[in-house]
Amino acid sequence: TIFTPEQLDAYQDCTFFTRKEILRLFYRYRDLAPQLVPLDYTDKPDVTLPYELIGSMPELKDNPFRQRIAEVFSEDGDGNMTLDDFLDMFSVLSEMAPRDLKAYYAFKIYDFNNDDYICKSDLEKTVNKLTRNELTPEEVSLVCDKVIYEADVDNDGKLSLEDFQHMIVRAPDFLSTFHIRI
Amino acid sequence: MSYHYNEAFENPDYHFSETLEIDRRRSPQKNLFSHQTPYDYDTSPYGSYGEHSEREQNYPLAIPMASLRRGSESSRGFPRVDVLSRSPYGHSTDNLSFEPEPDLAYSPPSTFHLLDRPYAHRVASVSYGTIIQNNGRPPEEIVMASSSLFETDPAHKEEDKLVGNLASMTTSERIKAIQKMPETMKKKREIRDKVLKEITKKSSHHSTQLPCCTHCLQGAALSFRRFGNTLLEYFSLLRFWHKTLKIIGAEFGTSVLSYFIFLKWLLAFNVFSFLINFSFITIPQFIAAEPNNLTFTGLELFTGSGYFQQTVLYYGFYTNATISKITNGASYNMQLAYIFTVGLYFVVCFLILLVSMAKSFCRNFINPWMYSGKASKLLCTWDFNITNEKAVKLKQKNLSTQIKEDLSEVNREVLNFSVRERVVHIVIHLASWAASLGTAVAACAGVYFLSINNLKLFVKGHENDQETQAAMLVLPIIASLLNTLIPFFYSWLGQLERFQTPGHQIYVTIARNIVLKISIVGILCYYWLNIVAVSESQCWETLVGQDIYRLVLVDFIFCLLGSFFGEFLRRIIGTALKLGLPEFDIARNVLDLIYAQTLTWIGIPFSPLLPGIQMIAFSIVFCVKKVSLMMNCQPPRKVWRTAQMTTSFMFLLFFPSFLGVLSVIGVTVWRLKPSEECGPFRGLPSMYAAVSEWIKLLESYTASKWVVWIYYNLVTSELFFFILSVIVLIISYLYWQIIEGRKTMTKLLHKQIINEGKDKMFLLEKLRALQRANQTPPAPRGQDQQRRPSSYNPSRQPAQQVPDYPGRTCDRNQNAALSEHPYSARISTGTGFPPDSKTPHLSRRPGVSEAVALALRAREAAQWEDEESDSDF
Repeated sequence: TIFTPEQLDAYQDCTFFTRKEILRLFYRYRDLAPQLVPLDYTDKPDVTLPYELIGSMPELKDNPFRQRIAEVFSEDGDGNMTLDDFLDMFSVLSEMAPRDLKAYYAFKIYDFNNDDYICKSDLEKTVNKLTRNELTPEEVSLVCDKVIYEADVDNDGKLSLEDFQHMIVRAPDFLSTFHIRI
Repeated sequence: MSYHYNEAFENPDYHFSETLEIDRRRSPQKNLFSHQTPYDYDTSPYGSYGEHSEREQNYPLAIPMASLRRGSESSRGFPRVDVLSRSPYGHSTDNLSFEPEPDLAYSPPSTFHLLDRPYAHRVASVSYGTIIQNNGRPPEEIVMASSSLFETDPAHKEEDKLVGNLASMTTSERIKAIQKMPETMKKKREIRDKVLKEITKKSSHHSTQLPCCTHCLQGAALSFRRFGNTLLEYFSLLRFWHKTLKIIGAEFGTSVLSYFIFLKWLLAFNVFSFLINFSFITIPQFIAAEPNNLTFTGLELFTGSGYFQQTVLYYGFYTNATISKITNGASYNMQLAYIFTVGLYFVVCFLILLVSMAKSFCRNFINPWMYSGKASKLLCTWDFNITNEKAVKLKQKNLSTQIKEDLSEVNREVLNFSVRERVVHIVIHLASWAASLGTAVAACAGVYFLSINNLKLFVKGHENDQETQAAMLVLPIIASLLNTLIPFFYSWLGQLERFQTPGHQIYVTIARNIVLKISIVGILCYYWLNIVAVSESQCWETLVGQDIYRLVLVDFIFCLLGSFFGEFLRRIIGTALKLGLPEFDIARNVLDLIYAQTLTWIGIPFSPLLPGIQMIAFSIVFCVKKVSLMMNCQPPRKVWRTAQMTTSFMFLLFFPSFLGVLSVIGVTVWRLKPSEECGPFRGLPSMYAAVSEWIKLLESYTASKWVVWIYYNLVTSELFFFILSVIVLIISYLYWQIIEGRKTMTKLLHKQIINEGKDKMFLLEKLRALQRANQTPPAPRGQDQQRRPSSYNPSRQPAQQVPDYPGRTCDRNQNAALSEHPYSARISTGTGFPPDSKTPHLSRRPGVSEAVALALRAREAAQWEDEESDSDF
């Protein structure tokens, strides 16, 4: 047995996964480093996989935001993940997660400098990642200005979480696109 | 990736001062936690203790801020409270560079439910966490050595409140609430453990005399939950094609994926229908089946006639007898089984469609008219499903071209058409509408005459020679050809018209296609119900069933051919002529599915096993389309509003398609006379008469009086339906009014937010003016606070050089960031500021950065007093 029933119950209560999905995710996690991750988690071993391994998952490895995702969900903020962080990440990115939760984490992912606002520099980074640096700096800055102008409800020149959530509500596709199938 | 503040912290000066500062600040509470609180017996063994209590005490640091959920629960959206809590400066714990305002933790408690604010909490805790993590973990000695300064323990209280709230919920609610918390797993588990403990404590408190019983009950509840979870798991095993869907999503994104999900959904409908039809109609019929004496040649597979006439495939074969294997045993009334199974299926379908449509609407059409703009396009556009390297690159390229296009559009002036051009445009639109409607009418006329012709073939007698059978296939082939070719004409028309937006063009083309398809189906229904039903054929229901069988089959074949010619050959030609790979036409394919499903629904009463055939067809279509997609197509270039489109398709499936089918079925069941010589309803004036006869029969039994009562007073009573519709109308009117009211409310709130923003700008402006004035002579007001910073005057300089706040907010200049936050926080939180609480910390701070902080704080305090005195009069 990998987990005790109590552990599984706890995981089920804290994520949007069923027991089977949790086990599958555990195996996915273990496959990243079979020599590091023990098959027995009942005594809660303290295993953390480095970002290099997490970022090499097929689900993430081509995602331009993979590093941010890993950083946001990892407890140490550097992208190194324990199994808990790993489950957390895919739980938020699962189909079942509600819009608010997804929006909250999407906000954190786009908030590159962790200042709890998406400001122009964050937007510039986002645009560059989205377009693989194919736009000129002037174009990028123009686009970012437009985004801030449009989405900034309270006129403080940057997007707060509320602004972001307000925007998400108007983008129905977000729920289906901010989703990684396991 | 390195953050700017990382560099800052690597500077030894910064590092030293900041780290210690923070550690010192944090440690007292930590200590408190580890010694005086019930967390001591917290058995949660994960993680280092320091870290976990840190999070704990950070938890309530956020200012009351309602989360997004407020939007959906706007019943409590009183403007005042709302705006106050909404003010984005409330939770300015984002002060990365320096010590955040300690007093923020003691902001006035909000009236909001604790659970509404997890988002705010997380903002706070994460930003603290980051600070600490970037400084390295706080040394254990400091944690232990520091003395407890804080007597109050609001963190503990708040968390207790949260735990209490959670404990008072029902199990499923609690789990949902915990799942939704934007916390780390550790924190969530900890809260969960506490809640469980709380519950156990409570329940044991309530029933100390029966501890054994409660234990049993709890054990039973737990095992019941586990059992439910196990069931759920087996249920999720039924999720077919999970991997295929994942691959499609990885390579083509959500938009193409939505087609396959729609297909899977329809497939589920058909599986359900097939299962109930098979088990309630077909299996009993097998028991009572008569031998089939027709020969099977093979061509029947295409025509559906001949051998199949005498099988369970068609209505005509079913018996009208009451089936009973054992004499005097339980019997099975075929008539009732037939009508109730079909009726039940349609009722279930109706409910499922209605619910999923309503859900989809409420999720995706919240503000359809507001869905425009680059902001959401940019930040919500990335499709996290896409994980294929090539697809990612393509998507990035498409995005950059799109952004460039948008920018060029911005630079271009708004097109101003002259009157003449406008007239030309309108004429072109009208002409193309006339052309498309004309084509639809012509197609309908063609189908109608062909079908009349077809009927003669049937009525002539069922000679099973090859020629007649082949001739039967003409009608479905023509119908499918029209269905396949005319859409190309329509899309060509759409390109000719040159719509202003591509979305407009898509919608118009879809509308035309749906008009075409529905009118073809409509004319066929007219033919079946008004001409076939009154013809002198032996068994008109079987004829209709055969017609539908052929239509479904030929449509399926055309679908396969379509993916061969439309995609495979297009790719070969495209690569030869350097046209590039074709794109998967989602709209056309989905409309084809809707057409096929409509046919199946119409066919259910005439051919109960048709859903089974459609089920097989859909599974094959799924595989073929998947292979064709993978081999031939490229991801769509344009952003496709998937969610909105899916909703529209669901609506189309509901409105013309399903409701049309219901009316056809209604006419069949209530109005038409069933054939005299075949089928379960032979000899009855209408299919529905079976039910009324059954009710008459029931009247003689006293035990089933209630069924009779329900039938007479509810089902057949006009008064009941009148009252019901009046009630429904009243409720809808009320809801409509509520929606209107909420719209107004939303508008007002939106305005208020904007006004708040303006207020803030104004206040900042004033503040800056005041600073400038303060620079030379100290201000008369707030002198005691002013005295301290005046000695740090030089350090103020950088902050004052920030000319424009909003523009500079992301400035890496830490002073800028610093100078902004305290003020904004102060202005929005306003009251409840205990100036003394921070004094001890201030005095300990060394270094330049601290001087700045001190200066700012003092100035801010002065400003705050200013505000307060302003508000006094």
